[in-house]
Amino acid sequence: MKRRHLLLAAAGAFAYGQTGSPGFYAIQNAMIHPASGPAIPNGTIVVRNGLIEAVGPSVPVPAGAWTIDGKGLHVYPGLIDALSTWGLPAAAPAAARPATPAADAPTGRRRGGGDETPANVQFLDDGGPEDRPSNTSWLKAGDLVQPADATLTAARNAGFTTAIVFPSTGVFAGQGSAVNLSGGRAGDMVVGSPVGQYVTLPTRSTAGFPASLMGSIAYVRQIYIDAEQYKAAKAMYAQNARGLQRPAYDRALEGVLESPRILLPATRKVDIDRMIRFGKELKIPVVLYGGAEAWRAADSLKASGVPILLNLKWPEHDRDGDPDAVESLRTLETRELAPSGAAALSKAGVRFAFYTTGLERPADVRRAVKRAVDAGLSNEEALRAMTLGAAEIYGVDDRLGSLENGKIANLFVTDGDWLAERTNVKMVFVDGKKFEPAPAPAGRAE
Amino acid sequence: MHRRKLLSGILLAPFAAYAADGTVVIRNAKILTVTKGSLEGSILIRDGKIVEVGPNVNAPAGAKVIDAGGQYVMPGIIDCHSHIATDAVNEGAVSVSSMTGTGDTVNPEDIGIYRALAGGVTTANILHGSANAIGGKNVVIKMRWGKDTPEIVFDGAMPGIKFALGENPKRRGGASEGGLNTRLRYPATRMGVEDVIREAFTDAKAYKAALDDYNARVAKGERLIQPRRDLKLEPLVEVLEGKRFVHAHCYRADEILMLLRVADEFGFKIRTLQHVLEGYKVAKEIKEHGAGASTFSDWWSYKVEAFDAIPYNAALMHKKGVLVSLNSDSGELMRHLNQEAAKTVRYGGLTDDEALALITINPAKQLAIDNRVGSIEPGKDADLVIYDKHPLSNYAKVQKVFIDGQVYFDRDTDMNERAAKAERKKALAEKQKAAARPAGNGRRPQ
Amino acid sequence: MKLAAFLLATAAFAADDSFVLRNVTIHPVTSADIPNATLVVTGGKIADFGPKAAIPKGAKVIDAKGLHVYPGLIDSASNVGMSEISSVRESGDVNELGDFNPQLRAVSSVNPSSDHIPVTRGNGVTASLIYPGGGIIGGQAALMHLDGWTWEEMAVERNITMQMRIPTTTTSTFSQTFGAGRRPFAETKRRYEERLKLTGEFFEQARAYQRRKAAGGGGFTVDRKLEAMLPILEGKEQLLVFAARERAVKDALAFAAKENVKIVLAGVREPGTAVKEIAERKIPVILGETLELPLEEDSPYDSPFTLPGELYKAGVTFAFGTFSVQFARNLPFQAANAVGFGLPYEEALKAVTINAARIWGVDDRIGSIDKGKWADLILTDGDPLEGRSQVKQMWIQGRPVSLETRHTRLYEQYTKRP
Repeated sequence: MKRRHLLLAAAGAFAYGQTGSPGFYAIQNAMIHPASGPAIPNGTIVVRNGLIEAVGPSVPVPAGAWTIDGKGLHVYPGLIDALSTWGLPAAAPAAARPATPAADAPTGRRRGGGDETPANVQFLDDGGPEDRPSNTSWLKAGDLVQPADATLTAARNAGFTTAIVFPSTGVFAGQGSAVNLSGGRAGDMVVGSPVGQYVTLPTRSTAGFPASLMGSIAYVRQIYIDAEQYKAAKAMYAQNARGLQRPAYDRALEGVLESPRILLPATRKVDIDRMIRFGKELKIPVVLYGGAEAWRAADSLKASGVPILLNLKWPEHDRDGDPDAVESLRTLETRELAPSGAAALSKAGVRFAFYTTGLERPADVRRAVKRAVDAGLSNEEALRAMTLGAAEIYGVDDRLGSLENGKIANLFVTDGDWLAERTNVKMVFVDGKKFEPAPAPAGRAE
Repeated sequence: MHRRKLLSGILLAPFAAYAADGTVVIRNAKILTVTKGSLEGSILIRDGKIVEVGPNVNAPAGAKVIDAGGQYVMPGIIDCHSHIATDAVNEGAVSVSSMTGTGDTVNPEDIGIYRALAGGVTTANILHGSANAIGGKNVVIKMRWGKDTPEIVFDGAMPGIKFALGENPKRRGGASEGGLNTRLRYPATRMGVEDVIREAFTDAKAYKAALDDYNARVAKGERLIQPRRDLKLEPLVEVLEGKRFVHAHCYRADEILMLLRVADEFGFKIRTLQHVLEGYKVAKEIKEHGAGASTFSDWWSYKVEAFDAIPYNAALMHKKGVLVSLNSDSGELMRHLNQEAAKTVRYGGLTDDEALALITINPAKQLAIDNRVGSIEPGKDADLVIYDKHPLSNYAKVQKVFIDGQVYFDRDTDMNERAAKAERKKALAEKQKAAARPAGNGRRPQ
Repeated sequence: MKLAAFLLATAAFAADDSFVLRNVTIHPVTSADIPNATLVVTGGKIADFGPKAAIPKGAKVIDAKGLHVYPGLIDSASNVGMSEISSVRESGDVNELGDFNPQLRAVSSVNPSSDHIPVTRGNGVTASLIYPGGGIIGGQAALMHLDGWTWEEMAVERNITMQMRIPTTTTSTFSQTFGAGRRPFAETKRRYEERLKLTGEFFEQARAYQRRKAAGGGGFTVDRKLEAMLPILEGKEQLLVFAARERAVKDALAFAAKENVKIVLAGVREPGTAVKEIAERKIPVILGETLELPLEEDSPYDSPFTLPGELYKAGVTFAFGTFSVQFARNLPFQAANAVGFGLPYEEALKAVTINAARIWGVDDRIGSIDKGKWADLILTDGDPLEGRSQVKQMWIQGRPVSLETRHTRLYEQYTKRP
């Protein structure tokens, strides 16, 4: 797969029939959308050694660059999927559960025992937070990325250059990494890591604790309390080990402590408000994800300063549902107004970004963004929500997210407005490396 | 008001949003104070509090006057056992789930709140479920429909925790669904339930001792690693210290007595016995311990431990000196607790005031909020219900409900808003149905 | 003590079925109330009543000053006597296996010793339509007096209607392990259509059987299931069709029209636009608990409360059923609750007395205080539909019936505990 990418890149270069140094490009006369500022008509952008060397209306084309005539073309920062599993193994390693509870677990229940207990019986009560169930907080997505994954190519062809990928199984699923969508080894792809801990709050489970939302929340709370205690104990021990009980090494807490922020699920306004309060209580930076009801939560989000990732898979009519069933006004309104959430957040000055979980095709992503635009979000804000907005939320905006001097040369070039139905992605640059997607089949815009 | 506009009908801000410092007079009312007899007259409300009750009160200039038209006014109903307004009820994976709490999962948008309000309920004790010998923490709320979680929580109510005895907590110790469930959980017997409680409090005492020991030694200058804070045992320590109420689900006389004796031994109090259907058999012991009893009016025979339940339970316990309340444990029953109270007149011959006390001042005392709510007296919160007939009549219906002097339910307003809400719903449903209608290829138009 | 005194009083004339109530307010239900009147019961039947009814010589006279006499209340749907403790499968006999069981009879599975029978009686219920369930056709329901040494003595009509549950399209599922879940609509629909088809086929088989039987001749053999369907096909017996929501109600109506059978709708909760047709076709309805939660989040909070009043206004004939065992004693309150929300009081009372009797075709015997009817009577200190009232005495076919129950016994026993 790696070889094919290279071949494609080479073919693209030759198509222009020019000569120049490898990885040294200048796109001239293009409409440049930097995301960090207003669009630059007839601008030039220079890419060298994987970085943006210059961008502006009157940038001279340096000698030795492959020049690309950008007439009629638009240049955008590469799109970022703000919450993704692209390139990760289909099923992340199951969250570890001890096969048998620790014998000395202070509060673990004794077994019932006795002859009447069938041999195949498992006891459900395997203890609580202290057993660290459903926890792989130490996993880092960047270590798990498979560069050959075909989804990476497909996403890149649609203009995505970066994904913030997370392991996704378990309450503490693991740590996310910002990865560029091209590279021979996982190590080449990682742009920032760890960028956060991905937390899910299961509402029901038959696999043991936590089996409910209230259990999940209590578990997360206890883990952060334990982590604080662990940190303090380790620091004390490191200062002078003599005479102190050695704090037991705990990888689940190590993983949590490594994570600069926590991602918490929040779909409805109720969840959003709840998670804002929870984040405040945990005293660590929080990023929410979901946001179907963000359209009515802009005020709370603004007041809290908590950013939110909006799922572009807007709520849809349940295809498996009873077509005659009367849906609640709440459901209908959420479906109607979910895409207006982005505009509401933008207006309120809330930091937000988009992610694409649940959308299969690039055209679906574009349409979903378009719906947000139709519901009042400006084109610029929409672009920001898929580029710089995401980079800022994860603290990687010093290197990603906009077309600015010195940033990583992640960008894509189209033959029209990126949200228009018939627009084609002509070129994608990842780390300054150029890719040209195969043209779409005739008659199809996707 | 902003929200009201968006979610027409679902989330109503208080109907008549008098300024918080507004003065309201309810005149021409038959006032059932519950604690100070009944009279015909007026109630003066200022800053959300009852200021004066009497045959004639002077309405200050500018006061909002509400003519009750000779109808009945009683204190807002208090439900000492409810599971509405929470997104989770049980954490069933463990036998001791004291680390959880309904306070973490309050859903202020649960339609159950509005429905309860329409049934005259103004305050409810939102309890964890009964799947665990020691369950999670509870939260007391006021039915301030339209407000967010922090605003519906009853400020200053004593914290509590749920216990459960008998069939429910031992249910998962036995096979269910034709023996398919082989994931059993200790305990499977009433003996085991007692054991779980004893062990948990033994652990809690040891935990407390360890903390005390640490503090004492650190105070003496010893260098020690701080013990881990355990969210499971912490609430139990609070119980031991009298800082947290125990609300214990129970049925049979034997298990009721068991719990009282375990509590005696460990030196804490059971605040309320919930359901307590055989409480009448051990009323003497309940009274001696000082526990309150919160029961059903006439539920029986739905399980083995409910076969000796009698509708005279409330009256009998009351006559034997136990502080008794009637609760709902159900979003439906909650809507007519006044009629449940009326049954104690039929079964056991309580007076009207005694019957009304079961759903007002008595549950207020059980929750230690009787300084704020539970009767119509100067100084108390203006949580009031207007009924068109005597509230103990099966023909009575709620006309208006006030919380803190503000109208949160008004039957006329509710009826007037129905048509508009139905219309909006219809319009949205049709619009979305049209949008979701499959085109020729089964997908939406491209 | 009051209660005990009554029980003693009861015992005093327990042997006879003739007596006179004097100074009583009579509520005949079918005619205007009569204050300060006399009611004469002879041989278990109402012989005479009125302000000036003559007291037969030597009659046992009960002075009921300040009290009220009403016809005994009728529950038009319950499982009283068929289930004792709902969580204990072994104590339940309501739901049989299989989809089509018209041959099953509830009557002989009613346990006359069930503690639920006196408990239900305690609030004034003297008769109950006791139905079986399970599958699509659950079996035959019986109209039972809530008193008798045996089920034979209890039975007013042994096979009075056939219980049927119209297949529905519910996508919600429930399992002990996984809790509430959802099933795809396509699957639900397939199952629903299949079950509707099965039901149609079953009726077809019954008709074919009816023709074979009528044709006589050799080779005809009895099929007990199909044989049990004949009274339905012949229009001699009504089908009691359970349908809650609009679609199910409409399906039930269409089914009745197609099969040309008489039906009574049961457990109707949100009939929507089907109300008009129910009224036009004069299909009786048995309404369930008034105090229910609305089925939909957006339904008006009081929609279950207002349904009886709405049906009344639409001209539908209905009676109340508790569809319950443990809550069967709350039948009077169920009727009362509809009154606050639009049902005229008289209609509420009728819906637990005469209208029920009419729907079940037993109004020649029960349902009102009328000459010649059985003396199924309750004596109360007030409105029997009100929670705070007391039932002081009850007669079934003129026999005084004990109001002692498991509950009153435990109450007395533990009242005495020192």
